[in-house]
Amino acid sequence: MDYLANKYLRPRKIPSTACSGCGLGQVHKKTVKAIDELGLGVEDVVWGTGIGCAGRQTFATWKGDNFAGTHGRVYAIASGLRIALPPDKKIICTVGDGDSFGIGFLNLLHCARRNVDMTVVVCDNLGYMSTGGQYGWTTPLGVKTDSSPYGTYESNFMQEGQDVLNILKDAGATFLARHTSLQGQEAVESIKKAILNKGFSLVHVIYPCVTNFSDRALGTRKPIAMYNWIKERTYGLHDRVPENEMCFRTGIYHDASNTRQEFSARLLEFTREIQRRAR
Amino acid sequence: MKRYFDTGNRAITEGAILAGCKVFAGYPITPATEIAENMSRRLPEVGGYYVQAEDEMTGMHIAVGASLGGLKTMTATSGPGYILYADPYGWALGCEIPIVVVNAQRVGPVSGITGAPGQGEFYIARYPTHGGNAETIVLAPNSVQEAFSLTVEAFYLSERFRMPVTVLADQLVTDGWETLELPETREEIEKMGLRFKEREICRGPVFYPFTDQLDVPPVVMGHNTGGTCSDWTPTDEGYDTEEVEWAHKHSYRLINKVRNNKEVIRRYEEHFMDDDPDVVLVAYGSPSRVMISCVKKAREEGLKVGCIRPISLWPFLDDLYHRKTNYLVVELNYDGQLVREVQRCVPTGSNVHFFGKCGELPSVAEMLLQIKQILNGEPLVRSDNWEWEAW
Repeated sequence: MDYLANKYLRPRKIPSTACSGCGLGQVHKKTVKAIDELGLGVEDVVWGTGIGCAGRQTFATWKGDNFAGTHGRVYAIASGLRIALPPDKKIICTVGDGDSFGIGFLNLLHCARRNVDMTVVVCDNLGYMSTGGQYGWTTPLGVKTDSSPYGTYESNFMQEGQDVLNILKDAGATFLARHTSLQGQEAVESIKKAILNKGFSLVHVIYPCVTNFSDRALGTRKPIAMYNWIKERTYGLHDRVPENEMCFRTGIYHDASNTRQEFSARLLEFTREIQRRAR
Repeated sequence: MKRYFDTGNRAITEGAILAGCKVFAGYPITPATEIAENMSRRLPEVGGYYVQAEDEMTGMHIAVGASLGGLKTMTATSGPGYILYADPYGWALGCEIPIVVVNAQRVGPVSGITGAPGQGEFYIARYPTHGGNAETIVLAPNSVQEAFSLTVEAFYLSERFRMPVTVLADQLVTDGWETLELPETREEIEKMGLRFKEREICRGPVFYPFTDQLDVPPVVMGHNTGGTCSDWTPTDEGYDTEEVEWAHKHSYRLINKVRNNKEVIRRYEEHFMDDDPDVVLVAYGSPSRVMISCVKKAREEGLKVGCIRPISLWPFLDDLYHRKTNYLVVELNYDGQLVREVQRCVPTGSNVHFFGKCGELPSVAEMLLQIKQILNGEPLVRSDNWEWEAW
């Protein structure tokens, strides 16, 4: 147990039951590190999770308050919770790619529209790996999974021209970034900025699944192969990418932090105004 | 006391406000839309918050989320939205979060007839989500005034039992206009027999005790209690587990906190039941109004007829149907739902008949005719070729 785990996480749940070689812990640690570097305490954060690998492995790891919603619903629950919580409490949600960009996408979009103050860290293992390894909404085109034995045929949310982060930007999100779990401090810095934004922030972090994704897509369960596969495809936002090459463009996509009033603050102000008029 | 001429939707709104509701989140749907509209007007006046959600499921999730943050909350819908509540209803049942849910039943299946009364969600209200292993609480008003008082009661029960409570109304109750009396003083509130319970906070570390006791405070986020709640089976401390032993303990509480405390929920009304009536009518919600009129009329004609109106529908009041006699169950559906429960409860040798209408109320004359048929040992009169008895 390192310093961060001792300070913020519950010994009962750490180490998690994630598969060996899983990259989820890297995302988890970056999130906790960002919290620590911002000087936040256990009492400052309410931690939300969804389902799947990211949800189950990070649920109730936080020493403070924890909640886990049903499939895709953590954003709606967090929106309600936001109304009730004091404004200085942070809501941080670690969720999966299926949870956020699939089953919970409608709620996610409306959280962006409302600019609900929460930080969503999407821990993306490129598909539904907890259920054994089916393709999801960021699974690269042509990749083999258990439900795409001939390779995926559908376009996805990370493709050029239909990037999910652009959709969320247009919906009103005020901080958006993408990283891979192999990146270091730059990803932590993005999560810090996300937490400091009083509004809807989302940091999309791709991490390796060795057990299922790598096994079907790359034909190997050697962690190094999967890690290299991600690393070779990682580019900066403005890097030149060879034509037709699938890539993970990383960096801060959109930073309009604290430029637009947050949902619950607006609601509170609105209510106060009506009450004042009613008197 | 202030007297109004208003709708059930208004009554439900005022009941919620009086009970301390601070958040309403929902989605507009006939015939419950005016609850949302009234809440959007009234809540800000009392420092509460109205949120219009992107769909019914989200509406209830937002409401449950706000309740998880310690506020009393409500949502309202009709059948097509009530089925979308399955997900958040289950979450609130499993995590044991108080919330009041209103269902203004209309004609089904699916969207059916939007502006007419039905009673198709009797069983869905009992089994509002998947997975079983829980009891539910459902209250059914039959008037505007009762829509008010039962909404207050629903908040009280939801806090004591720390679970969602459904107010199962119908379109006639929510859209109907009647006299509504709203209390203004403490004495008037007490006189109306209204009960209240403030939100308390579970401080842990045991958030899910192995007990059937009432008044275990719910988990509330934001007070640094280390509160944990999730969609998975919890250990007593709220950790997710795959162990059957914990599922058994969790289910024990979810089932028995209701079953072993039925008396707190129990509500019903009986008329002319003291002389072992030859025919006992049974109905809930708006048709029960006609039923009561019909029984009075039958008594005037010298017929030995009585009636039972269950007000708390679930948990079902089995013991009300202990007499060995003829029963006529009147419902606003053609398939027969309440009648199945009555059939289950009556002593052997009783005869249970079903008279269904939907989208409109049966008339006193229609009901009286069926009663006479039963008394004469004749089959029920059918307005078409349907086998009413073949439920």
